[in-house]
Amino acid sequence: MMTAAITGRSAGRRRRHRGLGLLAHQIWYEQLSFWRNPQSAIFTFVFPVVFVTVIGALLGGGTGSAYFGGLSALQYYVPTIAALSVLGSCYGQLTVALALRRQNGILKRVRATPLPAWAYFAGLLAHCVLVSFIDVALIGAIGRLYGVPFPSNWFAIAVTLLLAAACFCGLGVGVASVIRNADAAPAVAQLVLFPLLFISGTYLPIHSEMLNRVAGWLPVRPFNEALLGPLALHEGPDWKHLAVVAAWGCAGTVVGVWRFRWTPRPE
Amino acid sequence: MAYAVEVAGLRKSYGSVQAVRDVGLTVRSGEIVALLGPNGAGKTTTLEILEGFRDRDGGFAEVLGLDPGDRSSSRDLRERTGLVLQDLAVEPYLTVRETIARAAGYYRAPRTTGEVIDLVGLAGQERRKVRALSGGQKRRLDLALGLIGDPELLFLDEPTTGFDPAARRDAWQLIGRLRGEGTTILLTTHNLEEAQALADRVVVLSAGAVVAEGAPDAVGGRDTERASIRFALPDGFAIRDLPLPAEAGNGTVIVETSNATRALLELTRWAVRHDVVLAGLTVVRPTLEDAYLHLTRQGTPAGAPERTAR
Repeated sequence: MMTAAITGRSAGRRRRHRGLGLLAHQIWYEQLSFWRNPQSAIFTFVFPVVFVTVIGALLGGGTGSAYFGGLSALQYYVPTIAALSVLGSCYGQLTVALALRRQNGILKRVRATPLPAWAYFAGLLAHCVLVSFIDVALIGAIGRLYGVPFPSNWFAIAVTLLLAAACFCGLGVGVASVIRNADAAPAVAQLVLFPLLFISGTYLPIHSEMLNRVAGWLPVRPFNEALLGPLALHEGPDWKHLAVVAAWGCAGTVVGVWRFRWTPRPE
Repeated sequence: MAYAVEVAGLRKSYGSVQAVRDVGLTVRSGEIVALLGPNGAGKTTTLEILEGFRDRDGGFAEVLGLDPGDRSSSRDLRERTGLVLQDLAVEPYLTVRETIARAAGYYRAPRTTGEVIDLVGLAGQERRKVRALSGGQKRRLDLALGLIGDPELLFLDEPTTGFDPAARRDAWQLIGRLRGEGTTILLTTHNLEEAQALADRVVVLSAGAVVAEGAPDAVGGRDTERASIRFALPDGFAIRDLPLPAEAGNGTVIVETSNATRALLELTRWAVRHDVVLAGLTVVRPTLEDAYLHLTRQGTPAGAPERTAR
């Protein structure tokens, strides 16, 4: 009990991490926190994997059908569920984590240390992107088991995933910044996301011209479309759809930077 | 550097509420100063301005020679200060050791993780998750995170709230050690015994302004103002026979006086002349609590804050 001698100010100290070292330090502890929290690990990570496994078991590999726009069921679902996993680990996770961490004082604790804000956010965002990449890889592997060939245009996939993950991180920070009560964060995040997923064809193909046009200007459908080419059809990056995603990402980032606070709102 | 903290004429309002009206205080390097005051007196707001969490509306504030409201020097300031606040939290799924090691990575020259764990009395708990810790253990972890950067200046907001008496003793001992190392400490507390035990000086806030400051033994005129002299009334005498106005107390007589030296002389001379003994003769000074309650009871007097001579 508090009996250790206090050593001098310079004895046996480690140097502070800098730059990439600091980033790796942050990512490591974000990863530890994430994988140990059953709620985040299951909802964010396991759900998309289970979903694609079940769909695969139900519909099998199959052949192309008009219902899925000429694709097989799994060729359709691997990209949309991969997109879903990016949404969950970037947008969903960030919205909830940031709102919660602000409310219970974790962000304030971080602010009390010399850790620069960029390092905190870079670490958190890189962690989210990493989780989504692992999830997408798993989904791709399950798709392979059901006869969806591995994609070949890795450049297109990397560009699409990285850009979209960054954009949905930006949107997550933006939404987290305007949420007042952290208890409402999961509900708000889902309330926005769930209808959006449906009209964007994540769960079922949409054959309504009008709905597709509307969803085309919202962030999720363009991301689905942008992933479909590289992931299922060996195509290059779909810049047109990625531009829509990027615009949403920028908007979210602007709101996030403008409205972000480290301390809980006063009662 | 003469002063670790220097504040003058500090002001801060939230809407129409003036949380801090006029706070001035100094903390010398190596000194331990306790900020006392009832809830809503402006202690936390003052502390949060000094920590850089809030901007002040007006007045002068300098912490370790830097302006806490200046964003460009905030990183340097955080490198050299440690914070233990009421409303801070850490990731619940990390262990004690991981939490401290994570924070250590943010500082230029931190203490070692093991050293800090021993200091705050968390040895044996290193591998436990934060979420499984008791309230007292979490406060120890807070203390550890405040110390890991080896700060020159430590802000402690009610550091022992929720501690059992043994844990409080340990924390006091630790603060004593830090003092021995030369760490400057500005703390708030509701525990007057704590202020008495730890602080070189106390600053009493009421309604957003300083109403008194001085050594714990002298604040609010404790050493010079009214004292009460108590003794048993000798047999065969009535209160009106005494040379000074007095009241009957609980089996004793109480003489309230602002000049205990003179009153004692008159009383003892009277006793000697009548050849009686003043049994149980004692002089009672107001306790820090008496002084504190007196100072903060009627809000703030509008005039200048009273200060005791040092």
